[in-house]
Amino acid sequence: MDQTEIFEKVVKILTPYVKNQKALEGISLDTHILDDLKVNSARLVDVVLEFEDAFDIEIDDDDVDKVETVGNAVELIEAKIG
Amino acid sequence: MELRPIAPLPAGARRKLVLQREISRLLSPLAIPLIGIALRWVLGYQIENLRDFRREYRRIFLERDGPVMICANHLTMIDSFVIAWALGSPWWYFRHFRTLPWNVPERSIFAATLYLRIAIYVLKCLPVERGGDRTEVTEVLARLAHAVSNHEVALIFPEAGRSRTGRVDPDSAASGVGRIYRSVPDCRVICVYLRGDQQHNYSDMPVRGERFRGSTSVIEPKTSHRGLRASRDVARQIAQRLAEMEQEYLDDRK
Repeated sequence: MDQTEIFEKVVKILTPYVKNQKALEGISLDTHILDDLKVNSARLVDVVLEFEDAFDIEIDDDDVDKVETVGNAVELIEAKIG
Repeated sequence: MELRPIAPLPAGARRKLVLQREISRLLSPLAIPLIGIALRWVLGYQIENLRDFRREYRRIFLERDGPVMICANHLTMIDSFVIAWALGSPWWYFRHFRTLPWNVPERSIFAATLYLRIAIYVLKCLPVERGGDRTEVTEVLARLAHAVSNHEVALIFPEAGRSRTGRVDPDSAASGVGRIYRSVPDCRVICVYLRGDQQHNYSDMPVRGERFRGSTSVIEPKTSHRGLRASRDVARQIAQRLAEMEQEYLDDRK
């Protein structure tokens, strides 16, 4: 799975949690999940658990702290997929 | 259950924690009775089964020494003070200072002024910005985990914020409480459900003259999950127990 495919899947997972739907129009790897997309911080865990299911990976508690931007999420998933 | 330590606390942060605890201990003969007086005589609050709460809290520590964290429902901004008041008398806290819980108040509210910052420092609070910088949030979790593993008590609200529907929602449990629990071996969780008779929804403060009732329950959640899912599962189990206690409270009132 290449980075573009992962990115598209990540955006699809994020979409229901996004409060600032306008920010989705210009979404990129640099988009901040909490600040730009206004995803509720408590729901970030749900998002990451959906990443686990969608990509069949296991994400540790510490890894969640590294997920600030969409790019961070894509990199983390790429690393876990190997 | 797989233990998963939170990143070790740097020596500087450990020293700060000890310093805060000792300053708090030093000022506690003044601060704790003042809080009690404010709650009981200025705001007119009463706790219906105060003796039961305090007896149960004492029993938990006398029964078994070890790490303990308190998880409670959250409806007003001063819940942590009311809960600490319910669980122990000033005399109990002077003699067993470690059982006075560490709290994690929202920084934007409780650390807004210098006066408030000093007050919450003395009252064993570690302010945090909910939804803020994740490194900072993790460091506060690490401080709490360090305190709990050293047999001090921490009070955490599994839902993170006040229950917006006025009812405990297990689905809204944040994973932080699970992370702390999973990082401390043999930790017990005291679930505390406490609610004022006139508290129909969440609010800033309970009404003046409010009468509180509630209960406690000790649990030791287990999970077969790993990683983040394990933390979330533990947090949900705790919030689920609180939801059951809430139902018991509501059934009692019928």
